[in-house]
Amino acid sequence: MTFSSKTWRAIALVSRIALGAVFAYAAWLKLRVPWQLFAGAIGDYRVLPYWAVAPLARTLPWVELALGALLIAGRWLRTAATAVSLLLAGFFTLMVWAYSRHMDISCGCFGPNGDAISWRTLLRDGSLLALSLMVTWISYARRRKAA
Amino acid sequence: MKLVALALAAALPVLAASLDADKSKIMGNPNAPVGIEVYSDFECPACRTFHIETLPQLIKDYVVPGKVCIIAREFPLNIPEHKYSREAANYATAAARVGKYEAVADALFKTQTTWAASGKVWETVASVLTAAEQKKVQALAKDPGVASEVQSDVERGQSAGINQTPTAIVMRGSKQYPLSGYALKYDLLTTLLNDLLK
Repeated sequence: MTFSSKTWRAIALVSRIALGAVFAYAAWLKLRVPWQLFAGAIGDYRVLPYWAVAPLARTLPWVELALGALLIAGRWLRTAATAVSLLLAGFFTLMVWAYSRHMDISCGCFGPNGDAISWRTLLRDGSLLALSLMVTWISYARRRKAA
Repeated sequence: MKLVALALAAALPVLAASLDADKSKIMGNPNAPVGIEVYSDFECPACRTFHIETLPQLIKDYVVPGKVCIIAREFPLNIPEHKYSREAANYATAAARVGKYEAVADALFKTQTTWAASGKVWETVASVLTAAEQKKVQALAKDPGVASEVQSDVERGQSAGINQTPTAIVMRGSKQYPLSGYALKYDLLTTLLNDLLK
């Protein structure tokens, strides 16, 4: 299968839009409630000091929303896909770390009072990370092909 | 305790009834713009910390000035490590009916490790009651109405999705925000309250 094939293009388009929609939806769930609730979810991981938790809780949902919009629109695709992959890799690492320490906390992925960290949330975020890496790879592969 | 007494004095009995809680479990003016339901388990160490460290600050800064009203809710966790939680909640609820909830809650939290190890819940409760109050509270603790009030709090919490203690549900108008864990850190909690009070 080549990148010019219709099937491959369709897979790339659907993956990109799905990932963008997930990011935009996750951002919306966080932005519709006071930022302090998401700050609580971040703080529960016990890896950041308070002075870092509050600004992160205020800005991260907007970053997620912007990245989701860029993925859906197909603008700055390589930058957006790379940023999403890095973010998801960070989230996934934190979740594995918390799960391995039997921390009974909400993952904070889809709003502050979301699912507690479990193998299900790890599977879900792991799948999103895999999808994101694929979208990133496609975006760079297209560039190489175009060159 | 002075702050608690001031806060309790500000509570209006008629409005307190509309909050569906014993007036002794309500601190502050029930007409306050923001309400906080605090679900606690007397055997939970984090609840102890919240009660001893955070609650007095909240009372001083928000309840006494009439900005916030706090409602105590029982949420004895049904886990083997918390053998006496339900008994303590029943005694505290019985004490609320003689107007001694805060004194009993203070005693239970302050000496938590002692009675949780010995099982001497009643002795702890009795230590802050007069002889007449002790009699009443012992009789009330056997009243099915008290047990059902505790159970009603538990069911209320479960229907709100609570699965850990302490959990505070911050209410402003029709909006409700459940907070637990790190979100109950005083610095963070006050930023939320200040935003809601704007």
